[in-house]
Amino acid sequence: MPGTLSKKLALTKERLYSLVGLAIILALVPVFLGFNFYYVLLAADVMLAASLVAAWNIIGGYAGQLDLAASAYMALGAVVTGHLLANFGLTPWIGMFIGAGSAVAVAALVGYPTFRFGIKEVWYALLTSALVVIMMRIYYLIYGSFETYIPHMEPEWLYLTFRRYEVYYYMLAAMLVIIIWVNLKIKDSKLGYYLAAIREDELAAEALGIDVRRYKLYALMIYALLAGLVGGIYITLTGILSFRLFDPWLGIVVAVMGIVGGLGSISGAVLSAVILRSIEEYLRGTIGATYPGSHLLVYGLIIILVGVLKPEGLASFIDYFKKKITRRGEEVG
Amino acid sequence: MPNPILRVEDVVKRFGGIIAVNHMSMEVYENEILGLIGPNGAGKTTLFNCITGVYKPEEGKIIFRNEDITGLPPHVIIQKGIARTWQKVRPFKKLTILEAVTVGALLRTPDVDEAKETAKEILEFIGIEKNRWNRLGSEITLIEHKLVDLARALATRPKLILLDEVAAGLRPHEMDELAKVLLKVREEYKLTLIVVEHVMRFVMGLSERIIVMHEGKKIAEGKPEEVANNPRVVEAYLGTKPL
Repeated sequence: MPGTLSKKLALTKERLYSLVGLAIILALVPVFLGFNFYYVLLAADVMLAASLVAAWNIIGGYAGQLDLAASAYMALGAVVTGHLLANFGLTPWIGMFIGAGSAVAVAALVGYPTFRFGIKEVWYALLTSALVVIMMRIYYLIYGSFETYIPHMEPEWLYLTFRRYEVYYYMLAAMLVIIIWVNLKIKDSKLGYYLAAIREDELAAEALGIDVRRYKLYALMIYALLAGLVGGIYITLTGILSFRLFDPWLGIVVAVMGIVGGLGSISGAVLSAVILRSIEEYLRGTIGATYPGSHLLVYGLIIILVGVLKPEGLASFIDYFKKKITRRGEEVG
Repeated sequence: MPNPILRVEDVVKRFGGIIAVNHMSMEVYENEILGLIGPNGAGKTTLFNCITGVYKPEEGKIIFRNEDITGLPPHVIIQKGIARTWQKVRPFKKLTILEAVTVGALLRTPDVDEAKETAKEILEFIGIEKNRWNRLGSEITLIEHKLVDLARALATRPKLILLDEVAAGLRPHEMDELAKVLLKVREEYKLTLIVVEHVMRFVMGLSERIIVMHEGKKIAEGKPEEVANNPRVVEAYLGTKPL
């Protein structure tokens, strides 16, 4: 039907424009920051958090599984990429895909029995949280408490070694745009509809012919792939391989940011990651220095406030305005 | 007798020491509306869940269109053509009416736009107003929930729909409306319906044939008026007369 086709094109066009708009804004950020070393590093860090939260949105937001293992998949991608580079001199361009592949393999290995035995809700959260710790201990068993430093080579693209942080920032920003694009693609596809149905009511979803386990596993694997890739880029930035990369706290923070953003809303998730991560760093830089730890107190307070005032998350603001516009349009037409 | 579309043969389902369905057998014929009634705890819903694959029966067979479907998981059973609606509505709260029905239609096509078209046709056919299609599952009334539930099931293109207490909680005029929709739907989509129901007025008016269950067994079968006067049925519902 030509009518539906042109409508479909229009929709993707609209999304394409917003993605391009976002890319342009992200590209200009270092300029506004005056190419200041510290601020650009912070911006890269914010991009890292936003990328992880956007990847988490697939399993947490769309599929509704409270996954706390974002740092496990990210760190696995990071250490595989890092060790391939440090021990075998393999370029991170290939290494990050091997790393992400390993993350997908672990996700499939853990996810299959998890979903097969119907582990969900808080038990799923516990299980994924434990996964981070288990993987941390495994890394510790192999490499001990040593930190491996990736040898610092001459700046070049092949090994992703640079003297300035801008390149890393741009790579992570590009990753964020790609992950958002993947999110939008999923949302409009059969997979997206099925994941939403699973999130809302698993039993009803199954009665409509959805193989719940299979689709949850798909979501988990896509999420692990994206988180693994982010880890691969991240390690070229820090250059330090350590068991500390498997950070249970980070896994929880990613989920918290996703929830504060509003489950299932990609714009809310990214917005929340950008705002919360910036506030956290700002507070650490200001009051954190004079009263150690107090920045976490304020940070926690902000999260509680959002929880009390807007339990639906930041996305509900965005939705509210969107709906107002479309509903009004409908009534006129 | 025509060929049955669904045959339940000697099905047994136990929960611990309790036998919920006790050697139950029945046949359902193409294009009929069969009422399945019985007092609370008679095993109707359990039998339902055995047919739709939620439970696996311990004994017996379920044959659908000459194919043994005993013990298959729910998402496979619906592909074979058995859909169901829920006693307690199970809405997709954060999806719109149109999206919820689209989820059902996606069973038969991977293309979202095509599924949406199917969903629109079905919504129009069962009479949900166009201006309600963008309402979320959390914003609609009970009768709308029941209709959306039905539309969702219809969108999977079933041959047989099992309706679990579809009239529960509805006002009398809403029940009449629903009965009309069900008759219309059966005609249009060449469906067979099994109606599990507590509301006698609804099920007696709608069904062409009635099976009465009591303590996991079939105790009576026949036309609505025959069943209503059957002494065993009266006894099952009201108990025996004290001496």
